[in-house]
Amino acid sequence: EYEEKTGRAHKPLSPKQNVRKNLDFEPLSTTALILEDRPANLPAKPAEEAQKHRQQYEEMVVQAKKRELKEAQKRKKQLEERCKLEESIGNAVLTWNNEILPNWETMCCSRKVRELWWQGIPPSVRGKVWSLAIGNELNITHELYDICLARAKEKWRSLSTGVAEVEGEDAGFSAADREASLELIKLDISRTFPNLCIFQQGGPYHDTLHSILGAYTCYRPDVGYVQGMSFIAAVLILNLDTADAFIAFSNLLNKPCQMAFFRVDHGLMLTYFAAFEVFFEENLPKLFAHFKKNNLTPDIYLIDWIFTLYSKSLPLDLACRVWDVFCRDGEEFLFRTALGILKLFEDILTKMDFIHIAQFLTKLPEDLPSEELFTSIAAIQMQSRNKKWAQILAALQKDNREMEKGSPSLKR
Amino acid sequence: MAQKEVLGTPPEGIHPTYPYKVVLLGSTSVGKSSLAYRYVKNDFKESLPTVGCSFFTQMLNMEVATVKLEIWDTAGQEKYQSVCHLYYRGAHAALLVYDITNKETLNRAKLWLRDLEKEFLPDEIVIALVGNKVDLAAEREVATEEGEEFARTRGLLFMETSAKSNYQVNDIFMAIARELLQREQEKARAPSPHGRSTVTLGESRVRTGCCRL
Repeated sequence: EYEEKTGRAHKPLSPKQNVRKNLDFEPLSTTALILEDRPANLPAKPAEEAQKHRQQYEEMVVQAKKRELKEAQKRKKQLEERCKLEESIGNAVLTWNNEILPNWETMCCSRKVRELWWQGIPPSVRGKVWSLAIGNELNITHELYDICLARAKEKWRSLSTGVAEVEGEDAGFSAADREASLELIKLDISRTFPNLCIFQQGGPYHDTLHSILGAYTCYRPDVGYVQGMSFIAAVLILNLDTADAFIAFSNLLNKPCQMAFFRVDHGLMLTYFAAFEVFFEENLPKLFAHFKKNNLTPDIYLIDWIFTLYSKSLPLDLACRVWDVFCRDGEEFLFRTALGILKLFEDILTKMDFIHIAQFLTKLPEDLPSEELFTSIAAIQMQSRNKKWAQILAALQKDNREMEKGSPSLKR
Repeated sequence: MAQKEVLGTPPEGIHPTYPYKVVLLGSTSVGKSSLAYRYVKNDFKESLPTVGCSFFTQMLNMEVATVKLEIWDTAGQEKYQSVCHLYYRGAHAALLVYDITNKETLNRAKLWLRDLEKEFLPDEIVIALVGNKVDLAAEREVATEEGEEFARTRGLLFMETSAKSNYQVNDIFMAIARELLQREQEKARAPSPHGRSTVTLGESRVRTGCCRL
């Protein structure tokens, strides 16, 4: 295509029309120069003028050629980059499949794997890696999933036929409560990634999402269904088979941070926020002071981000990359990501007041650039005075417990 | 505060701006986010379930002042209730939203009212009871009179709305803004018993039902 275009530029073209038409002419492409003779009814140009015009024309052609060459080079470079990226993804898939996954236990913590991991897991192996990284501490089997699902289906049936239920092991959770929860699941499924059009009524994954959430409320009636869960289950469904998605879902929610949030353990949530603020102040002191001054507490933006693991607030592909490293590094990466986002937008956030910051952070720009975000996250240090996330969190939890013991009147 | 005195006796040419925090409370899926979205963007789309809180702002140019409404749209699920407590602290107004096609949601709104009454003195906060989804009249479970009567006995503003068909959404926020400004003026007048109370935008504290068409 490139040669064809430059080849055309060698044809003798008349400069006149372009000069006449547009004095500010900039040759965007040599194909824009049209061959045209001077109309016969006009007197001939003086030789000097003709010479000048020819010269101008030649300059234009030279410029146009230069520009086209540059563009062609840029295109070639882009193509090369794309090929390189595709090749590196292809290579990464091979590395993951042939080297890392078969030797998971020994390799998963190696430096090389950690680096590859940071760059994002190729979609074709993502589910497998997530499953392995999340683990199955709860020892959930496919059979257990089937049992929970069967129980959920029984409940849906008895609810729809109005048959009174025999109070079983989950007595204490009122029938109305359970009904509300099942109703809510139905409602929320259609509100989960609505623009993907796959979880809505009639969509290919509608029943899968319904099943996993229903089965979970039977597996953990003490936790039940909490809004935000539908997004987590949906992301897992996009990467795993149903039963494996359920296993990953239940184990993921069983992690201390997720349990604190999904049980809405207010005191513990506040401890997480306090730990977050330690690293916030350490990494972004100026913005931290600005937030303090405006009374902007972390719950305003962290609740949504942590509950849905960013799947509702970041573009889906970017959210999956956050999940990748979250599976590698655990809960602290969720808070590190939050600081990465704040760092990325530090300059504009510093100029905003409370309500505008709140609006901005609860509805992030849709075109958030993934490489820039990850560069920004990489720059966040998760060490404060030689203490790591887990140490800071544990110390704060201990303080809380002691405070509660010391002054029982302050107990909530 | 200096600003408030200005409102009591507004000198020529001064048009103060008042920021007010307005919080939307109610069961899940009664249309809190949709009401806020309709009011601020004048559009309707299916909202994602709100986790935590989302935020909107709207400026209103009223006769005596500019009002800046900072709207806090909270999560509806009951389990989030302890989190929502964080959000209504310091609110100037609250909209208790229920769904007219679901009786249970009105009961829930009543529980929210109980919580608010524990937290605020009556003159600290403007509360409106809002029955949304009147576009679904065929499925109605709560009669207009029922909501209205409850609001009247408790001294709340009351309106039925539809975010979907854009019915009275603007009106309810406007009614709240008016009530907030009026209270501001009453407060400004109160400390000076000698001041002449010539401006009366409304006679009674209890203004229930006044907004119904």
